[in-house]
Amino acid sequence: MMTINVVLVMIIGFAGGLAVGSGFVAFLAVLGIIPRLTQLTKTMKMIHHYEAAVVMGALAGALATLWDPVLQLTPLLLIPLGLASGIFIGMLAAALTEVLNVFPILAKRIGVDGKIAILLMAFVFGKVFGSLFQWIYFVNK
Amino acid sequence: MRTKFDKKEITLWEVSVLEKTVYIRLRHRLQIRPNEKILLKDIAQVIADDDIYEKLCALPLYKVTEHDRNIVIIDVMKVIRAITQIFSNSNLEVQSIGPAQSIVEVVTKKQKVSFPLFLLVWLLLFIGAALAIMNFHEDVSMQAVQLRIYTLITGEVDRKPLIFQIPYSIGLGLGMIIFFNHVFKKRLNEEPSPLEVEMFNYQLDLDNYVALKENKESMKYLDDH
Repeated sequence: MMTINVVLVMIIGFAGGLAVGSGFVAFLAVLGIIPRLTQLTKTMKMIHHYEAAVVMGALAGALATLWDPVLQLTPLLLIPLGLASGIFIGMLAAALTEVLNVFPILAKRIGVDGKIAILLMAFVFGKVFGSLFQWIYFVNK
Repeated sequence: MRTKFDKKEITLWEVSVLEKTVYIRLRHRLQIRPNEKILLKDIAQVIADDDIYEKLCALPLYKVTEHDRNIVIIDVMKVIRAITQIFSNSNLEVQSIGPAQSIVEVVTKKQKVSFPLFLLVWLLLFIGAALAIMNFHEDVSMQAVQLRIYTLITGEVDRKPLIFQIPYSIGLGLGMIIFFNHVFKKRLNEEPSPLEVEMFNYQLDLDNYVALKENKESMKYLDDH
């Protein structure tokens, strides 16, 4: 009975991981961040390495959440880490199709085809301000 | 007997060669002032023999009136009909290449952007974006994850790991700029940004819609309703 339980739990765990992993990749594929980055850096040939980076990053995240290691390193390491995760989330937010669909309509309605970059900056500054406001002030409340 | 027959056929053939071909390619979209005439050279690129080219180019197709609102659709059949009517006695063949209709936009005057409205939209976007990112952070338990990352790296507990959070917030803006390839007017790269592509696609969708919907010839319905 015990063996059956263990095997069952392993199967459920494996199946759950499979579903979440494929969902994660599908999510990234839909948003198109990786193609956009390869397009900007002109490194189309390295796309397989980027895939590996995503898979390894997801595995590292899974290990860090389940295993809870404590590394006792300098807090300065958090600066590049924070910057990198911020850039990733920023690209995620920018890539959401809702954002991309709203801007053309908005620009047409108020007739500012030329000034769309300034509207975009409102969006960018809003995100940065909202985030800073939340971490510095809002979380204390 | 046989040679005679051949000769006859050859003469017939030469007559049909005399037929002149005019190639026209409608423009996808053009702008025009109200109460102006649309000439063929405005609406299309034309290739024709020199002797009829000038006459063809100056061929009036449509006069914009007050009655037309801001979009007029000129179908290629209308253009061909106009050409064949003018040149009905000469043997003229019209070949159309490209779009089947042209979208004429009647521009009354230069649209001025009202600055207060623009400012309002700017503020709306700013506040909305700020609220949306805060909601997103709450939704995905961003704070809890950040606290855990802080403990993972340093081994200490900090309720407000600003050393992680401030670079994160700056990176947020940076990531969006990288994605859109724009810093105000400055471009980071030659390629069009996803937003410009999206704007273009949206315009194309609108054009497609008006081209089919405003063009009475493009759809035919039963009259029995």
